Amino acid sequence: MRPRKSRSASLLLLALLAAAPAPAEVRYNVPAGDSPAIGPANAQVTIVEFLDYQ
Amino acid sequence: MYGGKVRLVVKNYPYRYRDFAYPAAEAALAARDQGKFREMHVLLLERSPKLDRGSLIECAKELKLDIPRFTRDLDTMAHKKEIDRDVKLAEGLDLYTTPTLFINGIKIAGDRPFESYREVIDRELPTSGPEGKGK
Repeated sequence: MRPRKSRSASLLLLALLAAAPAPAEVRYNVPAGDSPAIGPANAQVTIVEFLDYQ
Repeated sequence: MYGGKVRLVVKNYPYRYRDFAYPAAEAALAARDQGKFREMHVLLLERSPKLDRGSLIECAKELKLDIPRFTRDLDTMAHKKEIDRDVKLAEGLDLYTTPTLFINGIKIAGDRPFESYREVIDRELPTSGPEGKGK
Protein backbone atom coordinates (compact mmCIF):
# COMPACT_ATOMS: atom_id res chain seq x y z
CA MET A 1 0.00 0.00 0.00
CA ARG A 2 1.35 3.41 -0.90
CA PRO A 3 1.62 6.06 1.78
CA ARG A 4 -1.10 8.70 1.59
CA LYS A 5 1.35 11.44 2.19
CA SER A 6 2.84 11.34 -1.31
CA ARG A 7 -0.60 11.57 -2.87
CA SER A 8 -1.48 14.71 -1.00
CA ALA A 9 1.84 16.16 -2.09
CA SER A 10 0.87 15.43 -5.67
CA LEU A 11 -2.47 17.11 -5.19
CA LEU A 12 -0.78 20.10 -3.65
CA LEU A 13 1.49 20.30 -6.68
CA LEU A 14 -1.52 20.32 -8.97
CA ALA A 15 -3.07 23.12 -6.97
CA LEU A 16 0.12 25.12 -7.34
CA LEU A 17 0.10 24.59 -11.08
CA ALA A 18 -3.50 25.73 -11.29
CA ALA A 19 -2.70 28.85 -9.31
CA ALA A 20 0.15 29.86 -11.58
CA PRO A 21 -1.04 30.85 -15.06
CA ALA A 22 2.31 30.15 -16.63
CA PRO A 23 4.91 27.81 -15.22
CA ALA A 24 8.17 29.46 -14.26
CA GLU A 25 10.39 29.29 -17.30
CA VAL A 26 14.02 28.40 -17.28
CA ARG A 27 16.10 31.09 -18.89
CA TYR A 28 19.47 30.17 -20.21
CA ASN A 29 22.30 32.63 -20.32
CA VAL A 30 23.70 32.21 -23.79
CA PRO A 31 26.53 34.66 -24.52
CA ALA A 32 26.11 36.44 -27.86
CA GLY A 33 29.83 37.12 -28.01
CA ASP A 34 30.95 38.51 -31.35
CA SER A 35 28.72 36.20 -33.37
CA PRO A 36 27.07 37.68 -36.45
CA ALA A 37 23.81 39.41 -35.67
CA ILE A 38 20.90 41.10 -37.39
CA GLY A 39 19.00 43.86 -35.62
CA PRO A 40 19.84 46.55 -33.09
CA ALA A 41 22.02 45.80 -30.07
CA ASN A 42 19.45 47.42 -27.74
CA ALA A 43 16.49 45.34 -28.97
CA GLN A 44 13.90 44.28 -26.39
CA VAL A 45 14.13 40.71 -27.55
CA THR A 46 17.34 38.90 -28.39
CA ILE A 47 17.14 35.58 -30.16
CA VAL A 48 20.20 33.38 -30.23
CA GLU A 49 19.77 30.79 -32.95
CA PHE A 50 21.93 27.71 -33.32
CA LEU A 51 21.58 26.49 -36.86
CA ASP A 52 22.90 24.26 -39.57
CA TYR A 53 22.43 25.83 -43.00
CA GLN A 54 22.33 22.46 -44.66
CA MET B 1 7.15 43.04 -38.38
CA TYR B 2 9.53 43.25 -35.44
CA GLY B 3 11.82 45.81 -37.01
CA GLY B 4 14.04 47.41 -34.42
CA LYS B 5 12.64 45.34 -31.56
CA VAL B 6 14.27 42.01 -32.15
CA ARG B 7 17.89 41.08 -32.55
CA LEU B 8 18.92 37.77 -34.06
CA VAL B 9 22.31 36.37 -33.11
CA VAL B 10 23.44 33.45 -35.24
CA LYS B 11 25.57 30.61 -33.89
CA ASN B 12 26.75 27.86 -36.17
CA TYR B 13 26.05 24.32 -35.14
CA PRO B 14 26.91 22.35 -38.28
CA TYR B 15 26.26 18.65 -38.14
CA ARG B 16 29.61 17.05 -38.84
CA TYR B 17 28.23 14.29 -41.04
CA ARG B 18 26.54 16.60 -43.51
CA ASP B 19 28.83 17.36 -46.43
CA PHE B 20 28.11 21.06 -46.80
CA ALA B 21 27.23 22.09 -43.26
CA TYR B 22 30.72 23.33 -42.38
CA PRO B 23 31.40 25.06 -45.71
CA ALA B 24 28.02 26.81 -45.51
CA ALA B 25 28.84 28.08 -42.01
CA GLU B 26 32.19 29.28 -43.35
CA ALA B 27 30.42 31.05 -46.22
CA ALA B 28 28.22 32.92 -43.75
CA LEU B 29 31.19 34.10 -41.69
CA ALA B 30 33.27 34.96 -44.75
CA ALA B 31 30.36 37.12 -45.96
CA ARG B 32 30.13 38.68 -42.50
CA ASP B 33 33.74 39.80 -42.89
CA GLN B 34 32.73 41.53 -46.10
CA GLY B 35 29.73 43.25 -44.56
CA LYS B 36 27.10 41.01 -46.15
CA PHE B 37 26.12 38.61 -43.38
CA ARG B 38 22.42 39.24 -43.47
CA GLU B 39 22.26 38.85 -47.24
CA MET B 40 24.28 35.63 -47.20
CA HIS B 41 22.27 34.25 -44.28
CA VAL B 42 19.07 34.69 -46.28
CA LEU B 43 20.58 33.19 -49.46
CA LEU B 44 21.90 30.14 -47.62
CA LEU B 45 18.52 29.47 -46.03
CA GLU B 46 16.84 29.83 -49.44
CA ARG B 47 19.29 27.59 -51.28
CA SER B 48 19.61 24.91 -48.60
CA PRO B 49 20.39 22.05 -48.96
CA LYS B 50 22.09 22.86 -52.29
CA LEU B 51 25.21 24.26 -50.69
CA ASP B 52 28.11 22.63 -52.49
CA ARG B 53 31.25 24.66 -53.11
CA GLY B 54 30.11 25.89 -56.52
CA SER B 55 26.73 26.99 -55.15
CA LEU B 56 28.35 28.85 -52.27
CA ILE B 57 30.64 30.72 -54.66
CA GLU B 58 27.61 31.48 -56.81
CA CYS B 59 25.94 33.05 -53.75
CA ALA B 60 29.04 35.14 -53.14
CA LYS B 61 28.99 36.33 -56.75
CA GLU B 62 25.34 37.32 -56.48
CA LEU B 63 26.22 39.41 -53.43
CA LYS B 64 29.15 40.94 -55.29
CA LEU B 65 31.66 39.80 -52.70
CA ASP B 66 35.40 39.79 -53.26
CA ILE B 67 35.49 36.31 -54.83
CA PRO B 68 39.21 35.46 -54.48
CA ARG B 69 39.01 36.39 -50.80
CA PHE B 70 35.75 34.50 -50.29
CA THR B 71 37.08 31.40 -52.06
CA ARG B 72 40.27 31.47 -50.04
CA ASP B 73 38.26 31.65 -46.80
CA LEU B 74 36.06 28.79 -47.98
CA ASP B 75 38.93 26.54 -49.04
CA THR B 76 41.02 27.13 -45.93
CA MET B 77 38.01 27.15 -43.57
CA ALA B 78 39.36 30.45 -42.29
CA HIS B 79 36.73 30.68 -39.53
CA LYS B 80 36.96 27.12 -38.30
CA LYS B 81 37.97 28.26 -34.81
CA GLU B 82 34.92 30.47 -34.53
CA ILE B 83 32.63 27.69 -35.77
CA ASP B 84 34.18 25.16 -33.38
CA ARG B 85 33.68 27.62 -30.54
CA ASP B 86 29.97 27.76 -31.36
CA VAL B 87 29.81 23.97 -31.55
CA LYS B 88 31.44 23.71 -28.11
CA LEU B 89 28.95 26.21 -26.73
CA ALA B 90 26.06 24.21 -28.22
CA GLU B 91 27.39 20.97 -26.77
CA GLY B 92 27.84 22.62 -23.41
CA LEU B 93 24.15 23.56 -23.53
CA ASP B 94 23.25 19.94 -24.36
CA LEU B 95 21.79 20.86 -27.72
CA TYR B 96 21.23 17.97 -30.07
CA THR B 97 18.99 19.49 -32.67
CA THR B 98 18.93 22.44 -35.04
CA PRO B 99 17.54 24.90 -35.17
CA THR B 100 17.48 25.61 -31.45
CA LEU B 101 16.50 29.13 -30.44
CA PHE B 102 16.92 31.01 -27.20
CA ILE B 103 14.42 33.85 -27.10
CA ASN B 104 15.56 36.08 -24.25
CA GLY B 105 17.02 32.87 -22.87
CA ILE B 106 13.89 30.75 -23.31
CA LYS B 107 14.85 27.60 -25.16
CA ILE B 108 12.88 26.34 -28.13
CA ALA B 109 14.44 23.25 -29.67
CA GLY B 110 13.71 21.82 -33.07
CA ASP B 111 11.84 22.99 -36.10
CA ARG B 112 8.61 24.68 -35.04
CA PRO B 113 5.94 26.55 -36.88
CA PHE B 114 6.68 30.27 -36.95
CA GLU B 115 3.63 30.90 -34.77
CA SER B 116 5.22 29.22 -31.78
CA TYR B 117 8.24 31.51 -32.03
CA ARG B 118 5.98 34.51 -32.46
CA GLU B 119 4.03 33.65 -29.35
CA VAL B 120 7.16 33.76 -27.21
CA ILE B 121 8.49 36.89 -28.90
CA ASP B 122 5.17 38.69 -28.36
CA ARG B 123 5.18 37.70 -24.71
CA GLU B 124 8.67 39.16 -24.35
CA LEU B 125 7.72 42.48 -25.94
CA PRO B 126 6.24 44.55 -23.11
CA THR B 127 4.47 47.18 -25.20
CA SER B 128 3.05 45.16 -28.04
CA GLY B 129 0.90 42.09 -27.95
CA PRO B 130 -0.36 40.56 -31.20
CA GLU B 131 -2.58 43.65 -31.62
CA GLY B 132 0.00 46.09 -30.36
CA LYS B 133 1.17 48.91 -32.52
CA GLY B 134 4.54 48.81 -30.82
CA LYS B 135 5.26 52.10 -29.16
